[in-house]
Amino acid sequence: MRNLSAILAVLPALALAACSSDPAPEPVEQIIVREPGAPPVQQAAAEEPAVSGENDEAAPIAAGKSAFAICSGCHVVDADASSTAGPNLHASVGSPAGAREDFAYSEALKSSGITWTEAELDAYIADPAGKVPGTTMVAGAVQDAEQRKAIITYLTSLSAT
Amino acid sequence: MGKWSRRAFIGAGVVAGSALVVGVAVRPGNPNDELKPLLADAEGEELINAWVKVGADNVVTAIVPHVEMGQGALTALGQMLADEMDADWAGVQVVEAPAIDQYVSDSIGREFIAPNLQVPEFFEPTVAGGFLELAQAMSLQITGGSYSVRGTGQRAMRTAGAAAREMLIAAAASEWNVPEGEITTANSMVSHAKSGKSEPYAKFAAAAAEQSLPAKPKLKSPDKYTLMGKPIARTDIPAKVDGTADFGIDAKVPGMKYAAVKAAPVVGAQVESMDATAAKSMPGVLQILNMGDFVAVVADGYWQAQQALNTIGTKYSKTEGDKLDQAALFTRYDEYLDEAGADGGDTETEEGDAADAFANAATKVEAEYKVPFLAHATMEPMNCTAWVRDGKCDVWSGHQSPLGARKAAAKAAGLDFEDVTYHNAYLGGGFGRRSENDNIEMAVRIAKATQYPVKMIWSREEDTMQDHYRPSATSRFQGGLDKDGKAVAWSNIHTHLFDPQEAPTVPYYNIANHKIRKVDVPTHLRFGPWRSVDHSQHGFFIESFVDEMAVAAGKDGYAFRRELLKDSKRHLAILDKAAEMSGWGNTLPEGHGRGIAFVPSFGSVIAQVAEVDMTGAKPKVKKVYVAADAGFVVNPDGFTAQMESAIVYGLTATLYGEISLKDGAVQQSNFHDYQMLRINEMPEVVVEIINGDHKRLGGGGEPGLPPIAPAVTNAIFAATGKRVRELPLSKTSFA
Amino acid sequence: MIKLNVNGQAKEVDVDPATPILWVVRENLEMTGTKFGCGIAQCGACTVHLDGKPVRSCSTPVSQADGKAITTVEGLAEEDGTLSKVQQAWIDAQVPQCGYCQSGQIMSATALLKNNPQPTDEQINSAMAGNVCRCGMYGRIRSAIKIAAGMEQPAAETGPESTKVEA
Repeated sequence: MRNLSAILAVLPALALAACSSDPAPEPVEQIIVREPGAPPVQQAAAEEPAVSGENDEAAPIAAGKSAFAICSGCHVVDADASSTAGPNLHASVGSPAGAREDFAYSEALKSSGITWTEAELDAYIADPAGKVPGTTMVAGAVQDAEQRKAIITYLTSLSAT
Repeated sequence: MGKWSRRAFIGAGVVAGSALVVGVAVRPGNPNDELKPLLADAEGEELINAWVKVGADNVVTAIVPHVEMGQGALTALGQMLADEMDADWAGVQVVEAPAIDQYVSDSIGREFIAPNLQVPEFFEPTVAGGFLELAQAMSLQITGGSYSVRGTGQRAMRTAGAAAREMLIAAAASEWNVPEGEITTANSMVSHAKSGKSEPYAKFAAAAAEQSLPAKPKLKSPDKYTLMGKPIARTDIPAKVDGTADFGIDAKVPGMKYAAVKAAPVVGAQVESMDATAAKSMPGVLQILNMGDFVAVVADGYWQAQQALNTIGTKYSKTEGDKLDQAALFTRYDEYLDEAGADGGDTETEEGDAADAFANAATKVEAEYKVPFLAHATMEPMNCTAWVRDGKCDVWSGHQSPLGARKAAAKAAGLDFEDVTYHNAYLGGGFGRRSENDNIEMAVRIAKATQYPVKMIWSREEDTMQDHYRPSATSRFQGGLDKDGKAVAWSNIHTHLFDPQEAPTVPYYNIANHKIRKVDVPTHLRFGPWRSVDHSQHGFFIESFVDEMAVAAGKDGYAFRRELLKDSKRHLAILDKAAEMSGWGNTLPEGHGRGIAFVPSFGSVIAQVAEVDMTGAKPKVKKVYVAADAGFVVNPDGFTAQMESAIVYGLTATLYGEISLKDGAVQQSNFHDYQMLRINEMPEVVVEIINGDHKRLGGGGEPGLPPIAPAVTNAIFAATGKRVRELPLSKTSFA
Repeated sequence: MIKLNVNGQAKEVDVDPATPILWVVRENLEMTGTKFGCGIAQCGACTVHLDGKPVRSCSTPVSQADGKAITTVEGLAEEDGTLSKVQQAWIDAQVPQCGYCQSGQIMSATALLKNNPQPTDEQINSAMAGNVCRCGMYGRIRSAIKIAAGMEQPAAETGPESTKVEA
């Protein structure tokens, strides 16, 4: 069909991205932790208390790390990580609000004059928009006082390292 | 005469997909016989022809080989079928065709491959048949390119509806023993006034199915339309207000587990090593997979999978792409453009002697424009659910090309096409993103490794960073005006050309000497179709430069374009309409400006005028007037919504859209750094439609986008004298 | 086990209390009307009510729902299926395009009108700016809110002001 051959020549130029390569290879590495329905694997404690006396600190920090999980959607804590949707909180406790170079804080927070003491953090995390109207932290309020305490304990432990 | 109540949604029937395009006789015999056994469903249902099903309760089901992604395709196509068929709309259902071979969008194939192919009538069946085979070979079942109404609707749905009506009349005439010419149809009833007989379609459905398909069913003229041209309510909307509409991400498969994934940030890099020590002991974790190009965690829930994935440390291989950052990329464009110089590159179109005309022009205008990569950012992040076991594979997603997805799944699973079932759902935004198969392939690969059903959901970060982007581009122009300020020369060289091929050309503007060239510049990023594709860049480039030429000619942008378009009545009508709607020429408040832009695309002709308030620190787009000619608009409300939608999609990009690179990876990740336009920045949009040609329809989904960026930047110039040549506007200070 | 009150029904789920409400609702309760859009409270697709107040469920741990009533989009209609005023207005104004963001939009609009039955444009902006609609239906959303509030009439034919069409 003479019309078709001319048309077929045009086909490769068509941006139909259905072209895939050879059947995908097997996984390079497959770690099977457990099968569906099997009981959860025994989880190692987040921090092994190595020396007596440090026991007192390990558990609340671990609990705080767990409470921090919901915050990790916007906040990273590694010393050398760049800020993401929210500022990196690595050295936040004890610092003035709006301190990080790599985050676009709201004017409201930058000019708040707040220094992040535990009390200030507690008030802010309980109700960010109420404490600092105009803050870009539109979510993440923690209403439970115990949870806030745990989170702050965790954050404080970061600054200490 | 009883009442015909609406039946509950019955799911897709299986019907022959022969193109009911004029004069086609692709399959010998009545296609219905072949496939009748496959149509299990209920007793009393009869096939009439390729696209129509009539149930015992007189419910007419329109089977549509397109997906619903918000553009109203299902409803519009249903209107076209039902109108030609004289069906009662209250008893009409519109159903998406299943992902099987018999349903292909060969109308699209034809439009894509040879849009203006004119063949003598006696060749028509062969060519159309050829396209059908081709379409099937490529598993073309695509929704995109603004084709559903103007392709499938105009060519197939209307023909199917008209054919069905003629077959019903033939059946009734035979049964009643009266001339066909004395029979009338309306609201799914066949009547013979003379004898007072009147019966529902269902009564003759079986007999009609025995009739052969008419060679050339007669289509209505607009004065006879009963449904086409009406703003009928969309059939999919009710489910979208009560939470029952299922999108790809909502798939529910018993025993299903969840996967979070992270692919190498630089395209082409591989995972060199993965440290999953912490992840192994995180709650809910089932498996951790290094797939080479991405890492996946499978868990009891998506959030658990993502939390565990976040703890995995990955090292990636080095690639050439690592060196690329935003500045280096545009430098590379400059280098290629510089090297092409006055004569290099690939010529796309040429007439007269542009170089000469420019050299001798009374006034010379030169400009260079730049636009960035853009992400699709569909509201529903990319996802796919797959189950591979016992030589079979099932896949669930929302996809623009269901058959293509099915094919890709088969390949990824190492199975035959026949062993794969693809289940399509509503799409939470398509815009071209969901015509790719990367999510399908990834999910199938994971499911193949686990052997139980897995729902893979991309985080918004993954979705933003692993897109198939709208390409960035640089475009350079040289324009010449004669002593009367008339355009006599147009030279353009630009980077990249993707699709449609005619996007950088301006055949509708009367410029005697023009030469348009392109250079291809290699980049490691993945590209893909993005709403209006290359028109999104070239609309901005062309309409900005036309405006700059107008300014150099000392003429108003509307008047200048008017002269350029003077031979095209249809184009002029639209340009004039936009100017009239916007009160062009009337005084605006201090610091406000109006900009006009004219872009024909996808068969439609659109002009827009934007009113912008420049009194603040940032541009505020207050109002957009749209004049549109799409041949004949089947659903004016749906079409208007598409104009509003395309304007917002384009305006978001104009104001904020930028995907930038650092060390070869995309820098943006979520909505805090890939900013969206929100309700507080929504302009007022006014749309007027001119139905300029009911025989040649234009598209609705995309044409509203290309004019918005230049309309806005032209308005900014009018208000401030400042010419913006680079997008997004957030890069420019207007303080 | 955590006890929840969802759309007036008592539910029990076995989840980590830190799990965001979004995933508990979607996966443990298999109610997928509430959508995932961004995970960082930037898009509003996940909006549900906690004791009638709108919250972004992607960023709210299920522990915060303790002792509170969760309302999702599935809980807005009456027992007999009658849609809420807001839902009906959304149909009258032909709001949804792809529809993915609309559960969140409707939840935010419902909360707005409960607190403020006759909102100004500024108040609508303020209440709804957290809900992104990638299909750009903001004009229709505003219209629908006003229709639900009785401040605007739905168009005579289905859809907003009938577009002017020239033959």
